[in-house]
Amino acid sequence: MTYSLRRVYAIFQKDLKDVLKNMFITTSLPVPLVFALIASRDPNPPVEAHFMFINLVLVMITAFLQSAIIAEEKEKNTLRGLMLSPATTLEILNGKSLLTFVFTIVTIMVGAAISGYEPANLWLVAVAFLFSIFFYLALGTLIGLYTKSMMEASVLLMPILLVFGFGTMHRAFIEEYAFLSFTEYFPNIQLLELAENVQTGAGIADVWPALTIILAWSIVMFLLVIIVFKRREIDE
Amino acid sequence: MDSIITVSSLVKVFANQKALEDVNFNVGHGEIFGFLGPSGSGKTTTIKILTGQLHPTDGKAEVFGVPTSALNSPYYRKKFGVLTDNSGLYERLSIFDNLKLYCDLYDVPVRRIDEALDMVNLKAEQKKIVSKLSKGMLQRVLLARTLLHEPDLLFLDEPTAALDPANSQHIHEGLRQLNAKGTTIFLTTHDMQEAEDLCDRVALLNKGRVQLLDQPKALRRQFSDATVTVELRDGRAIILSTGPEAAETMHTHMVNNEVAAIYTNEPTLGDIFVEVTGRELI
Repeated sequence: MTYSLRRVYAIFQKDLKDVLKNMFITTSLPVPLVFALIASRDPNPPVEAHFMFINLVLVMITAFLQSAIIAEEKEKNTLRGLMLSPATTLEILNGKSLLTFVFTIVTIMVGAAISGYEPANLWLVAVAFLFSIFFYLALGTLIGLYTKSMMEASVLLMPILLVFGFGTMHRAFIEEYAFLSFTEYFPNIQLLELAENVQTGAGIADVWPALTIILAWSIVMFLLVIIVFKRREIDE
Repeated sequence: MDSIITVSSLVKVFANQKALEDVNFNVGHGEIFGFLGPSGSGKTTTIKILTGQLHPTDGKAEVFGVPTSALNSPYYRKKFGVLTDNSGLYERLSIFDNLKLYCDLYDVPVRRIDEALDMVNLKAEQKKIVSKLSKGMLQRVLLARTLLHEPDLLFLDEPTAALDPANSQHIHEGLRQLNAKGTTIFLTTHDMQEAEDLCDRVALLNKGRVQLLDQPKALRRQFSDATVTVELRDGRAIILSTGPEAAETMHTHMVNNEVAAIYTNEPTLGDIFVEVTGRELI
């Protein structure tokens, strides 16, 4: 099987030019940084305050941007052109994810600089971020593939924003309502707990279950994306 | 002639409705093959099957000697090009940027953009943003995109549908040049004049079935009533068939210098279609 970096980069370049001219997307992107600014006003914010904006970045940039650019390709009938080109499924998905990935990393770094978040173990938290970004990229791709337009994708993203974007707040509900305890296994909660544990000195031996759970979410979501994308290649 | 497309006993059913029923035809290398029929006759469904976008319900569909389900590899994708009515462009980008993406996807040099745009008469417009283009210009950009990688086989679904006669003519000329270089063209249209001008052979499709398949000239001859109309200088028109009596009449009019014009009464492909199917080509 061939893999062409030229094709991946071509899709990335095209998306970059296209997104920078899309007012709807460009005006939505800086919103999570507002929460980084809010966290920065506290001289010693808890990890949870930093993760307010980090989780918002993962939903509002990673999942939203990804779903918007995929849904718009469907809306304007351009995805079919990519699917009929020599680009393979993996090249298209990687090309379409690269821009979102870069925007996510840059926004997290800028937001962390603003809010003053400094992980006690940068590499461990970076790996957890990476796994989480893969999950949200796949989630955004799936939403994009299931919806017919950018507007429909943004509407569908609302409940996801509530569950994952502001999800850290519902830890309080878990204590009150036991039936919600399954949400502890959500990737956003696992990411937050991992970051909190790392901040109190935990190492890989302590946080590997959380890493494994986030990775498992990413793998399942990625497999779903491949299945749905392959189905979309056929116009039945 | 070797076949580049082989279709036999092809059936496609959508939710209990037959879109194609026992369709059979071959397309030879280097041929311009017209697939003609009214809207909803199954032309686009056939193109979608032949380009791997749909699976046949039954029967065989092969392109380049392989089943259409095997066409999704980069090797085969570089060998064919498709223009359908649901092809789209990136509206916020320029014509050049749209085509540049496809140059990279198909591994062709960027200089091909000029050549492809020249063929559709848009070379001077390449900096224009796609959202500002007219429907006809959009269609020409899509066609240029399809031609960028100089495919061995081109599937064109109503390529000149939104174009004015001058641009249609320009594109026909370009397609002839491309065909002369060896590109096989599978063309669907309901423009019978376009089919007569361009195609080596045509298949007439109606309600998912191929009703007739032959060279346009042969079809016209087959359905001709072998008569000519003679228009006389006094305004009368007489219809003559073959035979000594008709020859004598013609001879008399010609000797007396009464003939203003003579027309053959061969039917057009449109007339033939209406005669065979009882349907208008819309």
